[in-house]
Amino acid sequence: MAIAPAQIPTSFGHELRACLRCRLVKTYDQFRESGCENCQFFKMEEDHERVVECTTPNFNGIISVMDPTRSWAARWLRIAKFAPGVYTLAVSEALPEEMQAICEDERVQYMPPKRL
Amino acid sequence: MSHRGIDRDDDDDDYMDDEQVADFEEEEDRRGRGGRKRRRSGFIDDDAEEVDEDEEEEDDDDEDFDARGGRRRQYKKVSASNFFDEEAVVDSDEEEEEEEGEDDFIVEGGADLPEEDDGRRMRNRRMLPHHQEDHEDLEAVARSIQERYGRRLTDYDEETTDVEQQALLPSVRDPKLWMVKCAIGHERETAVCLMQKYINRPSEFQIRSAIALDHLKNYIYVEADKEAHVREACKGLRNIFGQKITLVPIREMTDVLSVESKAIDLARDTWVRMKIGTYKGDLAKVVDVDNVRQRVTVKLIPRIDLQALANKLEGREVVKKKAFVPPPRFMNVDEARELHIRVEHRRDAYGERFDAIGGMMFKDGFLYKTVSIKSISAQNIKPSFDELEKFRKPGESGDGDVASLSTLFANRKKGHFMKGDAIIVVKGDLKNLKGKVEKVDEDNVHIRPEMEGLPKTIAVNEKELCKYFEPGNHVKVVSGAQEGATGMVVKVEQHVLILISDTTKEHIRVFADDVVESSEVTTGVTRIGDYELRDLVLLDNMSFGVIIRVESEAFHVLKGIPDRHEVVLVKLREIKCKIDKKISVQDRFKNTVSSKDVVRIVDGSSKGKQGPVEHIYRGVLFIFDRHHLEHAGFICAKAQSCVVVGGSRSSGDRNGDAYSRFPTLRSPSRIPPSPRRFPRGGPMDSGGRHRGGRGHDGLAGTTVKVRQGPYKGYRGRVIDDKGASVRVELESQMKVVTVDRNHISDNVAITPYRDTSRYGMGSETPMHPSRTPLHPYMTPMRDPGATPIHDGMRTPMRDRAWNPYTPMSPPRDNWEDGNPGSWGASPQYQPGSPPSRPYEAPTPGAGWASTPGGNYSEAGTPRDSSAYANAPSPYLPSTPGGQPMTPSSASYLPGTPGGQPMTPGTGGMDMMSPVLGGDNEGPWFIPDILVNVHRAGDESVGVIREVLPDGSYKVALGSSGNGETITALPNEMEAVVPRKSDKIKIMGGVLRGATGKLIGVDGTDGIVKVDDTLDVKILDLVLLAKLAQS
Repeated sequence: MAIAPAQIPTSFGHELRACLRCRLVKTYDQFRESGCENCQFFKMEEDHERVVECTTPNFNGIISVMDPTRSWAARWLRIAKFAPGVYTLAVSEALPEEMQAICEDERVQYMPPKRL
Repeated sequence: MSHRGIDRDDDDDDYMDDEQVADFEEEEDRRGRGGRKRRRSGFIDDDAEEVDEDEEEEDDDDEDFDARGGRRRQYKKVSASNFFDEEAVVDSDEEEEEEEGEDDFIVEGGADLPEEDDGRRMRNRRMLPHHQEDHEDLEAVARSIQERYGRRLTDYDEETTDVEQQALLPSVRDPKLWMVKCAIGHERETAVCLMQKYINRPSEFQIRSAIALDHLKNYIYVEADKEAHVREACKGLRNIFGQKITLVPIREMTDVLSVESKAIDLARDTWVRMKIGTYKGDLAKVVDVDNVRQRVTVKLIPRIDLQALANKLEGREVVKKKAFVPPPRFMNVDEARELHIRVEHRRDAYGERFDAIGGMMFKDGFLYKTVSIKSISAQNIKPSFDELEKFRKPGESGDGDVASLSTLFANRKKGHFMKGDAIIVVKGDLKNLKGKVEKVDEDNVHIRPEMEGLPKTIAVNEKELCKYFEPGNHVKVVSGAQEGATGMVVKVEQHVLILISDTTKEHIRVFADDVVESSEVTTGVTRIGDYELRDLVLLDNMSFGVIIRVESEAFHVLKGIPDRHEVVLVKLREIKCKIDKKISVQDRFKNTVSSKDVVRIVDGSSKGKQGPVEHIYRGVLFIFDRHHLEHAGFICAKAQSCVVVGGSRSSGDRNGDAYSRFPTLRSPSRIPPSPRRFPRGGPMDSGGRHRGGRGHDGLAGTTVKVRQGPYKGYRGRVIDDKGASVRVELESQMKVVTVDRNHISDNVAITPYRDTSRYGMGSETPMHPSRTPLHPYMTPMRDPGATPIHDGMRTPMRDRAWNPYTPMSPPRDNWEDGNPGSWGASPQYQPGSPPSRPYEAPTPGAGWASTPGGNYSEAGTPRDSSAYANAPSPYLPSTPGGQPMTPSSASYLPGTPGGQPMTPGTGGMDMMSPVLGGDNEGPWFIPDILVNVHRAGDESVGVIREVLPDGSYKVALGSSGNGETITALPNEMEAVVPRKSDKIKIMGGVLRGATGKLIGVDGTDGIVKVDDTLDVKILDLVLLAKLAQS
């Protein structure tokens, strides 16, 4: 058994949000309650405002990654090292500056989405 | 610390590594989570996978690995080797690393830990929040590596992404993508279900991932090594039916995953357009964004049919007319109330007051509507100026403008500013600072401020800048609806400029952003498809108009509705065709008006305007008055409300028109004898046919008719023969054109115009009458009733104008009688008048030259054979103001197109016409009538005794002519209006000179019993003068 999978979204509607850093997709409530499995340092579960700041409802397409390490798609999307779970293919927003600063402090890389 | 914490730490670690040098460290993930053993195995697994891909590199890698292994503990070795395996894919970097240092591993380790110059990437394992004790030493090593190599590696990092991404392209070793059909609308759900299924029973699951794309309905992608795995995974899923599983070709795999991340910058005050519903396509302004629920509140101009709304609210049946979309209109609450629509006041969450009508919220007339983000489009919204104007409610201050400015700026293209542009700062501390662009960076524009004491250049964000123009600048519009137009700035209102277009001379409002300074004077777009500025076009619904402005996609057409000045915007496809007919119509006085004639509008809202007629259609004239600033100078008027202005003087190009303007000249054709008699139909024809130049000659000097090409139908004199082409002086146009020789026919001209050559000035010939119109012009006004009779009288004259010899005869006989009174009978002899040869002999010039001045005195006795010359003489005295005689000889000189020569003739002929002299008062006085003489404040009655050659009259003062004799000018006199029972003398018409008795007055008509014939005639009172008692 590999890494414990992240929470799976409990619905498929508008309440879905994607983490702006790792692109994990869950519902707003899931983020609020348990934060993002890949980006614990955002501590969304502690500060609900953070959920809004660090996640977005604007994303495009989802991918359920069962086996990130052996999935070409996950590698292509650069989510291969994250927990198995549901991700989005692309988010359209960048992490707010403040959150980017947190990433910096946490020494994790953040790549803002490329604008076309 | 929980296991989880550890996991996370490792995860972070791995993540860093991955991000640094792309994602080559999947196995590290595993390793972290699974402990060392797992890590190792993970590594091996991965390694195995990578081997094929990186075969060539493998040797190197192994070497590296060994070197590293020697230095490091197992853990590091593993990670390093992992790194290298992955790294091998990125071959370009490999070399670089080798150059950089003897130890590739160390270099790469550095890559993991980049420098702080790019802060986001900087990280330090030591500082990880949940630090693992047992990794401490490793962290230390890592740190030192970072310190050593970090900086260099950041650079390297810059370009990793692209290169790495290429390295990640799928190979045959990778799992494949399969397309699986699923229930429509359940794509996401299916993907998530698969995930859930995997979580529940991970051991059985062999698929790697499942992908649901937003834009692909009915399908999901499943990533697996074998089709069987896909089938296995999909078994039992209710949303997956059908057995069809399609393999995605390797080269298309990346396409599946590359979705464009559309940046949606929905912020307040952003302009958006509605995508669906009643408001589809309408401009809206975002007032609030709810990202969580994916809703936006927008402000729109409502499209509400109040009546329908009222009906609906009252429960009445609403007739659903799908096609009808109410036009946008601001909501008027009072109006709504009048229709008994209930308007409530509500406050929203922010405490703003709204008027609520049936669930709709209004404020300031705008509708505030909350819609799904998906139902609006925020991409590339370029509100047109008109839309923005509409959106701005009166009273809204300029602040709103600035807000919209920012939106507009967001839509600016790159390279909007260029060096040298004059700009003004519109936002921030430097607001209103003007300057010039020095340099343009990515987002910043370096400007050189105009103000003293400021740094030489200042970098300003381009969003804070606006192009700046001053009144007087000549600019060119480079984008927007007016694209291509040039003009001069006449007013600057913030970021809106008002230009005077070079083309239309109209005001155009444009955004400063849309123009550049330019000295170029273009006409802008003057043409779309077949239609050009100033063309007369037929619109779809049988209405028509003139194109007065051409925009990038549409025309402004001034519709042919007199006095309405209706301008419509039409698209190319709405135009049916171009109307390009040469039509002529009659003006108020039945004068023929053709295009290019100058007319004056005497009626309606445009009264007093004057200009050449550009188009004629269905009795409507489009007149171009260059002093008219609206509608590109075009005025549309009914032909009936226009009169032709005597344009002959200036242009001389409208003999045809002159004819037409000279109804009395034209009409004779109705009288069979005179014109018809002459086989040379030329003049007559041309008279009837109006304009077409009529001329004569073969080549060079001959007159030809153009048979083909743009000048088809025109005639002119060939002035130059150039072989294949000839230069023809068009008679009707006063210009010289080059015409293909094959396009002319000269025979037409020669035969019928044989006589005309006798004029010796063929081209002038047509001009003659051009002068005349001035006089007879008024005829109908003065003597409408008599017109037909006049016509009869006119005939000879007109004919003579064209063919001096023929028509002359009758008048001459007549004149020789020296009895003006006998004019009434003149028509009688006309028919019989022979085409008198005698007239062929004397050239008209000679005829005229024969001292016209003296002729009058010898009225009845022509001195020479030229009756032509003499003919007018008896009547000359009555010509007004000495005008006719003087110019006559001179103007007959060849080459003088003025047509003056005719004047005497006309004058002579017009003796019968009350209108001779046109506007002059009473030029038609004849002896023995009683007149009132006004002179220097004193007024007296007199009797005309004699008509002097210079147009003045000898008047004996006193009611019976007993007083002293003075010389008076026609404009100093006025005929004494006769009363009933007075003896009168008829001053005009066929009966001119006849005496009679006024036996009654009926309005403006007098009932006259003519002495000679005892006939009773009804004549205009104006033509009657009281006869002096002798």
